[in-house]
Amino acid sequence: MSTTISPDRILKELAELWVTTSKEGAGDAAAGVLRACSMTLVVLAEESDDLQALGETVAALMPEHPARAIVVKLIGGQERALSERVYQQCWMPFGQRRQICCEQIELTASDASLEDLPSVVLPLTVPDLPVILWCRTSRILSMPGFYRIAAMARKVIVDSYGAADPEAATLRMSVVSRSGVLLGDLSWTRLTRWREMLSQVFENQEYLARLQNIRKVRVGAEEGLAVAARLMGVWIRNALSAAGIQTELEVTPAAPGGPSLRVELSGEGIGVELVREEDRLVITVNGLSNCTNLSRPTDYLLMREELAIVRHDPVFDRTLESAAALVYPSDK
Amino acid sequence: MPIQNPFQDPLRFERRVPECVVVIFGANGDLTKRKLVPALYRLAYDRRLSAGFAVVGISRTAMSDDEFREKMLDSVKRFSEDTKFDSDVWDAFAGGLFYIAGDIGDKDLYERLAKRLAEIETSRRTGGNVMFYLSTQPSQYASISSGLGSAGLGKGDGWRRLVVEKPFGHNLESARELSDRLHEVFAESDVYRIDHYLGKETVQNILAFRFGNGIFEPLWNRRYVNHVQITAAESIGVEGRGAYYQEAGALADMIQNHLLQVMATIAMEPSASFRATSVRDERSKLLRSIRSMTPDEIRQNTVPGQYGPARIGGQEVPGFRQEPGVDPGSQTDTYAAATFFVDNWRWAGVPFYVRTGKRLPKRVTEIAIQFNQAPLRIFENGDGASAPNLLIVRIQPEEGISLKFLSKTPGSGMKLRPVSMDFNYGSSFGERSPSAYETLLLDAIIGDATLYTRQDMVEASWTVVEPIQEVWRNTKYNFSNYAAGTWGPAASDDMLAQRGHVWRKP
Repeated sequence: MSTTISPDRILKELAELWVTTSKEGAGDAAAGVLRACSMTLVVLAEESDDLQALGETVAALMPEHPARAIVVKLIGGQERALSERVYQQCWMPFGQRRQICCEQIELTASDASLEDLPSVVLPLTVPDLPVILWCRTSRILSMPGFYRIAAMARKVIVDSYGAADPEAATLRMSVVSRSGVLLGDLSWTRLTRWREMLSQVFENQEYLARLQNIRKVRVGAEEGLAVAARLMGVWIRNALSAAGIQTELEVTPAAPGGPSLRVELSGEGIGVELVREEDRLVITVNGLSNCTNLSRPTDYLLMREELAIVRHDPVFDRTLESAAALVYPSDK
Repeated sequence: MPIQNPFQDPLRFERRVPECVVVIFGANGDLTKRKLVPALYRLAYDRRLSAGFAVVGISRTAMSDDEFREKMLDSVKRFSEDTKFDSDVWDAFAGGLFYIAGDIGDKDLYERLAKRLAEIETSRRTGGNVMFYLSTQPSQYASISSGLGSAGLGKGDGWRRLVVEKPFGHNLESARELSDRLHEVFAESDVYRIDHYLGKETVQNILAFRFGNGIFEPLWNRRYVNHVQITAAESIGVEGRGAYYQEAGALADMIQNHLLQVMATIAMEPSASFRATSVRDERSKLLRSIRSMTPDEIRQNTVPGQYGPARIGGQEVPGFRQEPGVDPGSQTDTYAAATFFVDNWRWAGVPFYVRTGKRLPKRVTEIAIQFNQAPLRIFENGDGASAPNLLIVRIQPEEGISLKFLSKTPGSGMKLRPVSMDFNYGSSFGERSPSAYETLLLDAIIGDATLYTRQDMVEASWTVVEPIQEVWRNTKYNFSNYAAGTWGPAASDDMLAQRGHVWRKP
C-alpha cells in the first residue's frame, strides 16, 4: 500500500477512462456516453462494512443522484496509510441506446491518515457541485479529524440506528448540528413514512377537530430504534405544542416480542395508534384500522431521500435540539 | 379548534390529496380507460391518495360496481405504463370504485348520484369534497353542469370542482357560451380546463429553465432571438377518428389549445411568483399580445394542408380523404402552419412559426429557438461556420434540452463545426416521470390550477385562431397538398422562405 496519493494522477486516470469508454461506444453511430453529475458523494465506511453491498447501494443511487462517488475504506491502525483505485459504473437506461456513466474512486485510509484525507478528497470533488459526506461509521463523529472532514461537505449524513448509547448519540449529533454542520440522520429518515401516515390521519377534518383533546403521546421502540423513538416522540410533542396543545410524552423500550415501534396519541374522544406488523404499518384511529405496506427501508431508500434534501431541514433541526434537551435538560 | 394540520412537513412528505370523490362522466370511454383510471391507480400506487378516496364512474352502459371494477382492472393492467401491478394496492383502490348507469339528459341520474355521494361521504369520510371530470362529448358539458346544478351538487359541505377536456368551444362565441353555462353552477376558480400538454414534465421544465436560471433570460428577447419554431408532428393518421377529426382539423385540434399554450409558456414574461394566478396572468397576457391577422395577412402567414396517399416503409397508406368516415371532398386541415407575431417590447418583430400535422415523417414535439448570428463572422472556412445557435426544447418523445453551438474541429487550422450539448431528461435522472394526467389530476384535487387553462386564455386563443378558420373555410384548397410521410406542403416552406428562414427537420 502506498502512503501517498496524487489527486492529479487520479483525475488523469478518470479522464482516460472517459476517453476509453467513448471509444468503445464509437462503433455504434447512435451510441455514446452521457456523463451526468449532480454532486460528489463521499462515503466513509469501516473495512468490516459489507463493501460489496455498499457498492450496490451507491450504484443504485446514481440514476437519480448522478455523482462522483468517493468511497473511503477505513482500516484503523496508527500507521499513516492511503491508497486508491479508480473505476467507472455505466448503465443503459431502459429503451435508450446511450449509456450513462458515473465515476467511482475508492480510497483506503488508516485512522492515522484521516488528517490527510481532506487534502486528497478536496481536489477530487467535482467543482461547483455540493459534496455530501455519508458517515457509515458512528465513531468518526468523535474522532479528532471529523470537523476538518465535515468542513468539506455541504451535508453530513449519519445513522444513529443501533447506537450503543442512544443518549450520548443524540447529544453528539446535536453538538455537531449546533456547530453549523448541516446534518442528516437516517434514523430520522426512517420515520418519514410514519410521520406522513400520522399527518394523513389529521387530514380528515373530523379527527383534526379532536386534535386539541390529545393529552398523552407514548412511543415504544426496540433497542436499535431508541434514538428514532425519541425523535418521533419529540416531533409529535413539538407539533402539538405549536398548535397550542400541551401533552405528556413517554418514550419506553418495546415490550419483549412486541412491535419494533409503536406510537400512540390519546385523549378524550381520540385515540390514534401506529404499529409496525412485519411489513405493514397498521394505523388505528378510534378503533378503525387501516394498513399500508411498510417494508423495512434499505440504505438505498433512506439515502435516496436524504440526497434529495441538500439544505437545512428545519423540522429535523428543531426535533434534534428538543431531543437533546430531553436527554440533558441543562445542556445548552 | 386548530384549522391546520400541525404534522405537515412539505420538505419530506409527498403532495397528497385530501379526502375526496372523483366523479367521471364518460366512464366507459377511451380516455377513462387509457389515461384517467391508470393515472389514479398510479397515484394510489405511489400512496398519494387518501384512504377514503373514491371514484364514481358514470356512463350509459348498464354495469354493476363489480363489473366496473373488473373493467377498470383490465384497463390498469393494459395501460399502466411502467407501473408494476400490485394486487394489494389494487384491492384497496378498487374498494373505492363505484358505478352509476344513466343518461346524461336524465334528471333522475343526478338524483341517484347525489344519493350515492351522500352514502360514500358517510362510509368513506370524504368530507363532501367532489371533483366532477367530464370525459364526454364536448356538446354534453353544459347539460351535465346544469344537471349537477339542478340536483344541488354544485355546492356541498366540502369543495366542488369541475374538470373539462378540450375543445373548449369551437370558436370564440361558443367558448364564451360554454363558460357562461358552466358559471351558472361553478365559479371560474372551480372550473379546471385540462390541457395535457401543460402537464408534461418538459413543458413545466420550460418554466424552471427560464426562471430558475439567470443566464438565459437576458437572451430571451428580440435582440438575440432570430425566430422560434414550434413543431408538433404525428406520424400516424386519424386512426379511425376520421369523423371527429373532420369537424375539428389540425388548427383547432392542436394549435388553438396545446401549441398556443406552449408558445405562451416559452414567450411569457416572468411571473412575480409561482402561484397559479400569477403564472396564468402572464400566460394570458402573452396570448392576448399575439397579433390578430387580417385576411390578407392570413393568406400570407398561414398554410393549411391535407395528406394524400403514399407508400411508407413498404406499406400503402391512405390519404385523409380515403380514410373511413371521411368525406371524399373534405376540406379539413390535417396540417396547419402559421406565423405569429407577439406585439410586445420583448418580441416585436420576432416570428413564431408554429406547425402541426398528421402523417408527418415522425412523432416529435419540440420548440427550437434560433439565435442571431454572431455580429461579425471571422471564421469562414468551415462547413458549419455560419450555423446559428439553437436551443431546442424537446417535449416528446425524448424529453430534454439541447444547445447547438460552434466548436473548433480538432487539428491544425481554424475550422468550425456545430456540436450539440444534450440534456436528456429521462436518462440524466433515472427516475420515472409522472404522466401528464397524474400531474394534472393531482393538481386539480389539491386545488392547484397553475397548469390549467383559464377562460380568458381560451378566449384569447380563439381570438387568434378564429379569423384563420374563417379565411380557410371560405377558400377552396386543392387538397391533398402533401404526401403522407413528408414534412408538409411546399407552401409551408415558402411561408418561412419569405423571411429567409427554413423549417428544421427534427
